[in-house]
Amino acid sequence: MSGLAAFDPSEHPGDITLDRVIPASAATFAPLPADLRPELVAALGRRGVEMLYSHQAEAYVAVRNGRHLVVVTPTASGKTLCYNLPVLQRLLEDPAKRALYVYPTKALAQDQLAELGALKSGLPIEVRVDTYDGDTPPGRRTAIREGGHIVMTNPDMLHTGLLPHHTRWRRLFSSLEFVVIDELHTYRGLFGSQVANVIRRLKRICAFYGSHPTFICASATIRNPLELARRLLEEQNIALVDRSGAPRGERRLVFYNPPLVNRDLGVRRSSMLEARRIAALWIRAGVQTIVFCRSRLQVEVMLSYLRQDLAPRLDASKRVRGYRAGYLPLHRREIEAGLRDGEITGVVSTNALELGIDIGTLQCAVLVGYPGTIASTWQQLGRAGRRSGSIGVFVASSSPLDQFIVRHPEYFLGTDPEEGLIDPDNLLLLAAHLQAGLFELPFMDDERLGAADVQELLKLFEEDGSATRSAGRWFWSRQAFPADEVHLRRILADNVVIIDTSKPRPQVIGEMDQFTAPVLLHEEAVYLHEGAQYHVDRLDWEEKKAYVRPVEVDYYTDALASVSVQVLDTFAGPRDEALSRSHGEVKITSLASMFKKIRFQTHENIGAGPIHLPEQTLHTTGYWITVDEDLWRSLGKETLDHPTKSGDFAGTPEMEAGLQGMAHSLRHIASLRLMCDPRDLGSVAEVRSITTLLPTVTVFEVYPGGVGFSARLYELHRELLEDAAALVRDCPCAAGCPSCVGPLHLVQGAKEACLKLLSASALPV
Amino acid sequence: MRQDVIALPALDPHPGSIAYVDTETTGLAGGAGTYIFAAAVATAIPAGLRVVQLFLPEPGMESAFLHALRDEVEPAGGLATFNGGSFDLPILRTRWVMARMPGEFSLAPHVDLLTLVRALYRHRLENCTLRYVEQRVLGYERDDPLPSALVPDAYFGYLREGSRDFLEAALEHNRLDVVSLVHLHSRLLRRLQGADIDMDADDWLALGRHRWRRGARADGWRALRNATAFARGEAAATAGLLLTRRLVRRGSIAGADRLLGWLETNAREDIRVSLARARLLEWRRGDPARALSVVEAAQHRMPEEAAELEQRRVRLLGKLRSRDEVRRGDRDCGKRDRRQVQLEAPILDGTA
Repeated sequence: MSGLAAFDPSEHPGDITLDRVIPASAATFAPLPADLRPELVAALGRRGVEMLYSHQAEAYVAVRNGRHLVVVTPTASGKTLCYNLPVLQRLLEDPAKRALYVYPTKALAQDQLAELGALKSGLPIEVRVDTYDGDTPPGRRTAIREGGHIVMTNPDMLHTGLLPHHTRWRRLFSSLEFVVIDELHTYRGLFGSQVANVIRRLKRICAFYGSHPTFICASATIRNPLELARRLLEEQNIALVDRSGAPRGERRLVFYNPPLVNRDLGVRRSSMLEARRIAALWIRAGVQTIVFCRSRLQVEVMLSYLRQDLAPRLDASKRVRGYRAGYLPLHRREIEAGLRDGEITGVVSTNALELGIDIGTLQCAVLVGYPGTIASTWQQLGRAGRRSGSIGVFVASSSPLDQFIVRHPEYFLGTDPEEGLIDPDNLLLLAAHLQAGLFELPFMDDERLGAADVQELLKLFEEDGSATRSAGRWFWSRQAFPADEVHLRRILADNVVIIDTSKPRPQVIGEMDQFTAPVLLHEEAVYLHEGAQYHVDRLDWEEKKAYVRPVEVDYYTDALASVSVQVLDTFAGPRDEALSRSHGEVKITSLASMFKKIRFQTHENIGAGPIHLPEQTLHTTGYWITVDEDLWRSLGKETLDHPTKSGDFAGTPEMEAGLQGMAHSLRHIASLRLMCDPRDLGSVAEVRSITTLLPTVTVFEVYPGGVGFSARLYELHRELLEDAAALVRDCPCAAGCPSCVGPLHLVQGAKEACLKLLSASALPV
Repeated sequence: MRQDVIALPALDPHPGSIAYVDTETTGLAGGAGTYIFAAAVATAIPAGLRVVQLFLPEPGMESAFLHALRDEVEPAGGLATFNGGSFDLPILRTRWVMARMPGEFSLAPHVDLLTLVRALYRHRLENCTLRYVEQRVLGYERDDPLPSALVPDAYFGYLREGSRDFLEAALEHNRLDVVSLVHLHSRLLRRLQGADIDMDADDWLALGRHRWRRGARADGWRALRNATAFARGEAAATAGLLLTRRLVRRGSIAGADRLLGWLETNAREDIRVSLARARLLEWRRGDPARALSVVEAAQHRMPEEAAELEQRRVRLLGKLRSRDEVRRGDRDCGKRDRRQVQLEAPILDGTA
């Protein structure tokens, strides 16, 4: 192991919860395929490739045999060759063929354009490779539509640019032989469900022009790549290549929890400052280091810290660079090159560098905060030490997720990466994409959209005037351009747009779904955005606009919303157990009526105000846990030592806080398991639910109709309870803190009650 | 399909065998889901103007509709539309693909009347919608029961409820549009020939630019000269400057110099002319002294532009001085004399 990147635990005041060396693994090679065109062999040779890694050869064979393919191998294992090789081979055989490459971001497409450019340069035919996205100048678009052999784009452009205007792309679609979908793992949850529908539309258009492309997907490690690909592509004959033949250097993995500053409140030293200290040591010693932050703002702050630390050197600003979305493409290319040739020693990045952009081999990676998923964590750690000995350090923040992960390294190491879940048949999504599909091509009387039966929906469209039936087909019959009405990366419902008015030109800094907005964006709220505080001056509910300005105050606001859950339909459950699980369709009603101002550190209440906003309802799917009557009573007895009267379900404040803590911890643990953003889920604790008539905790999806998370949570019931119990139990706080049971921690005994509830399923009933 | 022959007032000039086409569509967005539900084709025949209207009774009959449309326009020697270059023709091409029509929709040559209107009349029009062009160029106002924006809904209303009221209005709208195209084209042709009687400098300038761009150099030159002949005003100066540039390109530096001189005496408040003249004198004629006098005179005449010219003046002064220093040894006196002479004229000119 290289001695360069020393990490001596005794130099750091916090807890090292994991310090492990992952041994190196040797490469497995395979010869170049026998049928590979000599021109391609020569082009590879010029790049120093005389043999393939085993997974590249497997991928080539599978595609040549006409199968769809998913390749799942670690960062920097030569994944792109898995699709470039069969595609280039086919283009050499028949230059009339075409391929479409879909990347989740514009930057990745740019990066791959350069990569492929180097490989194709030695070929005897001119292979035209172009990116086609919002940045493509209008003057070049026609040429790309007519002559591009390989068109690189993103799902959003496919959705609004290519498919609705498919007649202009006739050349591409009628000769389309391959569709490459890189970074498959990013297509999960809502975004994945949207993209699945875009792919359904793509396949319809291809069928119209008589082509049946082979799909080649590449993914970072997730638990269910094949299943995700099957749902996304709706194809069965998919080959899976998941054994990497690329070599890996020895790697050291460290989990670091900053020292406690205040044990009662569970406050720890800032993860930013600790990470800064660790990274600065290495960068000063000239060891190439990457620091991953959670937000753009953090990137900028960390960047200025590290430059200060390096300040005696004149070229500090050249040797340490930032990298995030919002930088210009040319600027980013320059940074990537600087990293590859060693000009740059340190780079501070958001997850923008987590994806497959080629920046060569770095020695050290520092993760400020948990990236949100196990898969992302491995991706980011993988940036350090592609070949040689290296080290990756995860520095935990005090959020519940971070604290759970850092205190349970065995969970991290022992659990397969998360699974990618999608539900393309979510009614809202399906309807939106059906409109877009109808615009693109009339529907036959018996036609489906992918696997989904859409005839009922088409009849509905006819009623509202969006569709007309004629000659056994359905036609789009509105003036609107339906693809413009759906944004793939946003929630469907009317979002509240957040506008910063402090700049000379007001600037949109974010948006929030209608259901959550009353709680976080009510007037006088202090809204946190990328670590900065904003005061909400005005909320225009009609226009769905919140006007904010940055402030620095020593308090936060906490709105009290009375949330109730009504079960509309139970799909499964409950069984007669102490803690019973169910899932189904629910209606969530939320009415925010007042808010409190709470001072940081002391958590004293320093003011309050009313909220005047209409009641919000959300129809979605949820997973709920009911607490058995006996358990609830016994809990009262055990924890409080005074029995409750028979039939009296109103628990004591401690029990209620315990139930709230259960909702809080379950929501965070659930997002961990589902590989989704915690904001994709909501949770409610009710001492007496109007439907179950029992104490109930509901975890629901914030997207109308849900994308399939609830059913999965139902299956994961036991694991969720165990993990949530571990989160609360192992939290070093005395009586509950925001890192475990949530904001109600000031109630004495809440932590204990919560733990009792969560562990009840393990007890004999 | 409806067919109608209407009396056509004598067109002067007569555009010949051209099919005028106007389409009504289900939206303005373009893309595969926007289709054509009505088309009107007008062709001049000896008896007058033959106007054919085609209608798509339901979307499923598109292929028959497009075949009929093709049969109408194919015999013509060319196609004329209003904004067809970026609207009707791309949509027709799309519909051809969608209805799986054989081959591609193409009919050459195509003349887009909107392009011509923009080139020849933009300086007179706040916008170039057909309705506005009719008013300002053709001089008639149409009593249109249905604004263009509501046309698609008229068709959807017919598809849904079979209601014909608005649909009839939409079809009439379509018919009137195509008739307007015929008259507009005739009017544009007259303007292109420079045969309009009431043309001012702006009109001649627009015509000259357009003809020149399209390669009709002689016609373009004539039109620009006509514009310049108005002598006063920005358009005349612009035309004159364009002519100068062409003279210079042709190598006729003296001619350009003369023209600029003449322009400057007329367009006295146009800094562009003085600048062009100063540049020509300095670089083409190698006469920085005269250039300097032009600049100084211009500064004097146009005090508000003086600052902008100052840098040039200083540079020219510097250039003259360094030239003086080089020559001081042998031809000191002669040089100074000549400079004085050259400085005199513009000063007199400026105070005159």
